[in-house]
Amino acid sequence: MMRAERIRRLPMALSALVALTLAIVPLPEVIDAFRPDFLVLVVFYWSIESPRAGGLTLAFVSGLALDIIKGAVLGQHALALTLMAAWATHLRLRLRVFSVLSQCLTIFALLTGYQFILFWIDGATGNPVTSFGRWLAPVIGALIWPALVGTLSRLHER
Amino acid sequence: MVAFRSSDTSARSTGLLLRCFLYAALAVALMVADKRYENLGKIRRLLSIVAYPAEVAVASPFQGWAWLRESVSTREALRADKARLEEQLRVAQFRLQRYEALEAESRRLRALRDATAGVGARFLVGNVMDVDLDAFRERVLVDKGAHDGVYVGQAVLDAGGVFGQVAHVDEMTSEVILISDAAHAIPVQDNRNGLRTIAVGTGEVSHIKLPYISTAADIVKGDLLVTSGLGGGFPAGYPVGTVTEVKRDPAQSLADVEVSPAAALDRAHELLFVWPAVGSTPAATLTPATTKPATTPPRSVKPAAAAIP
Repeated sequence: MMRAERIRRLPMALSALVALTLAIVPLPEVIDAFRPDFLVLVVFYWSIESPRAGGLTLAFVSGLALDIIKGAVLGQHALALTLMAAWATHLRLRLRVFSVLSQCLTIFALLTGYQFILFWIDGATGNPVTSFGRWLAPVIGALIWPALVGTLSRLHER
Repeated sequence: MVAFRSSDTSARSTGLLLRCFLYAALAVALMVADKRYENLGKIRRLLSIVAYPAEVAVASPFQGWAWLRESVSTREALRADKARLEEQLRVAQFRLQRYEALEAESRRLRALRDATAGVGARFLVGNVMDVDLDAFRERVLVDKGAHDGVYVGQAVLDAGGVFGQVAHVDEMTSEVILISDAAHAIPVQDNRNGLRTIAVGTGEVSHIKLPYISTAADIVKGDLLVTSGLGGGFPAGYPVGTVTEVKRDPAQSLADVEVSPAAALDRAHELLFVWPAVGSTPAATLTPATTKPATTPPRSVKPAAAAIP
């Protein structure tokens, strides 16, 4: 059991790094607003798949990385990601038996919660982004969720 | 197809709540510390050294492609480039002759007025890194940081005019907030008549606005706006933008003025970091009698500081 979890940490860290890279790759301005939060989705996946291999720690560290790269208040993304990853971990057994549609809807709720916490902290620190564009990321994220799960589960079957 | 295959299917989530609470408390403590105390800057800088390789890794394929394209460009293209650059240099030199005469004249006039509104003394060129920070904020990452002496609040220019100011400094990189960011304000002056006001970003690179112009103020389409140097953040006299539209609604007390930025905010790749000339305090040379309180609201007291999140 311990051994299996130790092995799982490598694909975990690797997929998080790839997602972090995808989060900052420059895109044309037109489609930039449609960029889903890849790192958040990857963190959710690992929280559901193997919560004991340190899903929450991964969430906190990834959040800090996002804070530093985006130049946000230190701890903003970390807080949002930790809370939502904990929620995802709590829901994980139910999520497994859900149909694809219900899974996507749950992920949409989680992503919206994540955005809302970010939005709220932005406002509390006097730096709000009121554009409606930011609420688009949860929709896109929920839409690509099945593809992401397929890719990641195939990846660590090896 | 949505297959989770983990063997870990126990319903127990030992200590999940506790760990979640601990991490959340840590994150909140970090936020409070980051907002309240400045000493987190060092920690942030250290952490950013870890992020630097990732940023370079993302940016390098684009730089590599540019380098490759440059190295395989044909002789014809290079000749055309050379001819174009020579032409530009001739025009620039011609302008420079006039500039030197004008500068001498301006120095004489300033000496008469006993004022020293000096412009920036030292420059450093930085390159914009091809890294996307946030789709909804107008910020760019530049490859010069604390290592090169860049500081928070420093003015940043490009070839056309004022580009923005430094919002965060890391060891090797710095984050520049554009004048078009919705959280940015810059003290400006109409070049035609000296009317002072504040230009505020809109969140779109194509235009900024002047929200504090009264309907009676003398401002027309085509006016050039330059930095006023008030507040001390930006050196005085650099172009900020041109007025593109003035809407006066008789029912309102303030006019709706749109400005197109002089800097190529969405295209610039080389940026200039400016250090102010030693001893120049343009704000101190202005007497209270010449300021127009009607056009500058209380917010203008420290517009440069207001832009730093």
